[in-house]
Amino acid sequence: MRVAFVGKGGAGKSSIAGVFARLLARRGGRVLALDSDPMPGLAYSLGVPSADAGMPAEAVEEYDGPDGRQRYRLKSGLDTASAIERYATISPDGVRLLQLGKARGVKGENSYSHNAFQGIIDGLADDDSWDVVGDLPGGTRQPFFGWGRYARTVLVVVEPTPASLLSGRRLARLAQQLSAPRVAAIANKIREPSDVALVERRTGLQVIGQVPYDDSQGDADRHGLALLDLNSQAPMVAAIETLVSSLTAAEIAVR
Amino acid sequence: MKVAVVGKGGSGKTTTAAVLARTLARQGVQTIALDCDTNPNLGLSLGFGEERTESLIAMRDAVDDGDEEHASSADELIERFGIDGPDGVRLAVVSAIQNPEPGCP
Repeated sequence: MRVAFVGKGGAGKSSIAGVFARLLARRGGRVLALDSDPMPGLAYSLGVPSADAGMPAEAVEEYDGPDGRQRYRLKSGLDTASAIERYATISPDGVRLLQLGKARGVKGENSYSHNAFQGIIDGLADDDSWDVVGDLPGGTRQPFFGWGRYARTVLVVVEPTPASLLSGRRLARLAQQLSAPRVAAIANKIREPSDVALVERRTGLQVIGQVPYDDSQGDADRHGLALLDLNSQAPMVAAIETLVSSLTAAEIAVR
Repeated sequence: MKVAVVGKGGSGKTTTAAVLARTLARQGVQTIALDCDTNPNLGLSLGFGEERTESLIAMRDAVDDGDEEHASSADELIERFGIDGPDGVRLAVVSAIQNPEPGCP
């Protein structure tokens, strides 16, 4: 399974992605979690102590491109599998977490980590051994530039607020015109049944997951803990378990 | 006064910027709110409503389309592409990603 979570900032992408990745791993798959947010947060919802273990500059080497311009690629001897082995953090339930890392200084200084991360994504096209759960930064910028191109299902996380619904609609438009075969919405912070219909109507997307508003998530955020470690019985966890089940079933049906 | 509000997604940048802008405007300061997010929602928080927020043409798009001269001054761009809202705050959107087209936003 290969999914990427997108949505407005604060919609709940990382919170859902962290639980999703761990529940998927508990079913026995090899799960790779990708955090390409330059202000990373997926580590917290996975329960990994180190929130800042970004791609180091040493993962790439420079070379002269065909147009004479300087380019970067994964350094000699390093491919996607070995890069994951070397740079991913092992999170609870065995999820491998690969992080782009925090933006550092001016634009040029981020080129190494950006290219390392992109090189690993490129390699995923030929390496089908991973279930991939991607967590993109809020907004439209990274989705627009293909940072979620490994995904076969793009999940737009939307909460029933005007700004989130508007962002969801914009992302739906972007994602449908990009390469992902399937785009669907996850309605998050649902307080009443009509919220789900609202998300469906305003984004034009099928809602394939409904996650209730859950104070446990607020507590987890405040304490910097993974929701699964704070309260594994939380309603939000149950909702994401249902989502994992339905996506797994859909994938089996497609095969 | 020139203030930029930054922070992690969901931490409250847009809400803070909107309240700052309207509070300043209420004190009689001529206030321009610039939405520099490629997913621009500042209009919603300022109280422009969704329709007006979505009707704003990003200045960058207009310049790229050739409708406007690159040489336009900042004042001219804000004059042409900004709209006035509650408390007299003038809102302009710098760069929005609306469609997946090649090019750097």
